[in-house]
Amino acid sequence: MSRWLAEALAVAAKDLRAEFRTRVALNSLVLFALTTLAAVSYTIGPYRLSTEDRPFLLSVLLWIVIFFAALAGLDRSFVKEEESHTAPLLRLAAAPTVVWAGKLLYNLVLIMVLMAMLVPLFCVLMGFEIAMPWRFAAVLAAGGFGLAVTTTIIAAIIAQAMTRGALFSVLSLPLLLPLLIFLIQGTTAAATSDLDTYRESLRAILSMAGAMTIFSAFLFPVVWRD
Amino acid sequence: MNRVGMTLKWFLFVWMAGVIWAAFLWIPSAQGFKGESSRIVFFHVPTAWVATLAFLVSCIASGLYLWRREPKYDFAAAVSAGLGLLYAVLATVTGAVFAKIMWGAYWNWDPRQTSITILLLIYAAYLALRSAVDDPEKRATLAAVYSILAFVTVPFLMFIVPRIYFSLHPDVMTNADPDNNLDSAHLRVLLASLAGFTGLSVWLYSIGIRIEEIRYRRRQEVL
Repeated sequence: MSRWLAEALAVAAKDLRAEFRTRVALNSLVLFALTTLAAVSYTIGPYRLSTEDRPFLLSVLLWIVIFFAALAGLDRSFVKEEESHTAPLLRLAAAPTVVWAGKLLYNLVLIMVLMAMLVPLFCVLMGFEIAMPWRFAAVLAAGGFGLAVTTTIIAAIIAQAMTRGALFSVLSLPLLLPLLIFLIQGTTAAATSDLDTYRESLRAILSMAGAMTIFSAFLFPVVWRD
Repeated sequence: MNRVGMTLKWFLFVWMAGVIWAAFLWIPSAQGFKGESSRIVFFHVPTAWVATLAFLVSCIASGLYLWRREPKYDFAAAVSAGLGLLYAVLATVTGAVFAKIMWGAYWNWDPRQTSITILLLIYAAYLALRSAVDDPEKRATLAAVYSILAFVTVPFLMFIVPRIYFSLHPDVMTNADPDNNLDSAHLRVLLASLAGFTGLSVWLYSIGIRIEEIRYRRRQEVL
C-alpha cells in the first residue's frame, strides 16, 4: 500500500515538475479564469446585483468561471503524454491504478492552485461576502476533488481520440452538470449560513465525487491498457 | 422467420394506427388540462420511456462489451444510443409543447427538463466520442467506459436534483395523490401506446443492428 502510494506520488511529482518547466496547463487554467473574471467583474461589478439575489448569482458565476477554466486546462494531464509519446513508457513503468492516482493528484493540485488564486480575487472584486468561510472552503475542496476526479478519467479517454480540445468539454460537461447544481447550492448555503441546505448539498457533492472515484478507479485500467 | 416478421410489422402498423385513433378521437380530453393538451401524454410518455430504456440498454451493453469483448455488444450500445438520442429529442419537443400550453413557457428548467437535457448531452457526447476514434476496438472500449460513467450521474439526476428544485411535472412513477391518477380508459390507451412505441423501437433497433453487422462484415472483408 505504501509502495503504491509512493509510486502514485512519484507520477504526480513527475507531472508537476514537467508542468512547472513549461506551465502550459497552469497558464491556460489561470489566464482563462482571470480573463473570465475580468469580464464578469467589468460587466457586473460589485453593486449591480440586488442584495437578495447576490449569494445565489455570485455562486453561479464563481462556479461557472472555475468549471470552464478547469475544462480549458485539465485535459493536459493525459494529452501531454500522448503528444510527447511518453505514454508507452509510463505504461511500462507503472501500474494503471498508480498512473490514475498520480494524474488525479496532479489535477487536484492544479485545481487547488487555481482556486487559491481565483476565489479570493473573485470575493474581493465582486464583493462576495461569505457567512461561513470554513464551510465555504469545505465546499470548494469537495468540489475541486469532484472536478479533478471527473476530468482525470475524461482526459484519459480523449487522449486516445483525434479531436481532443473540443471533445474534452463535450464529454465532461454532462457528467459535471449535476455536480455543478449541488456546488452552487452548497456555496449559496455557505454564503447565507443556511445550515440544513449546506449539509444536504455537501452530502450530495461528496457522494457524487465518491461514486465517480470508485467507477474511475475500476474503469481507468481499461482505458489506459489499449 | 420472414413471414413472422412481416406479420409482426403489419400488426404493429394496425396497433399504432389504433393508438393514434384512440388518442385523438376515442378518448375524451382529460379534465384539469387546457383544451386538448392532455392528449400529448400518449406520445410524450412513451417517447420518454423509450429514451430512458435505450439509455439503460446502451449502458448494459457497454458493461457486457467490457466484460466479453464481443463486437455485437458494441453494436447494441451504439444503436440504442442513436435511437435514444432520437427519442429524447422527441420527448423534449413534446414536453416543451405541453409546457407552453399548460405553464406558459416552452422552457423553464424544471428538474425533468434539466435531466432530459443532460440525457441529450450525454447521448450527443457519446456519439461525438464514437465519431472521434478511428480504430473500432478502441472506439468500442472508450465509448463503453464513457457510457458507464454517464450512468453514475443517473441516480443523482433522478432522486437528488428533484429534491432540490420544485417541479411542475406530473409525477408518474411515484404518484401518491389519488386525484392525480389517470382513469382506466386513459391508462389503457397509454399502456397500448407504450407497447406500440416499444415495439416500434425494437424494430428500429433490429434494423440498426443489421446495418452495423453488414458494416462490420464489409470491414472484415476489406482487411
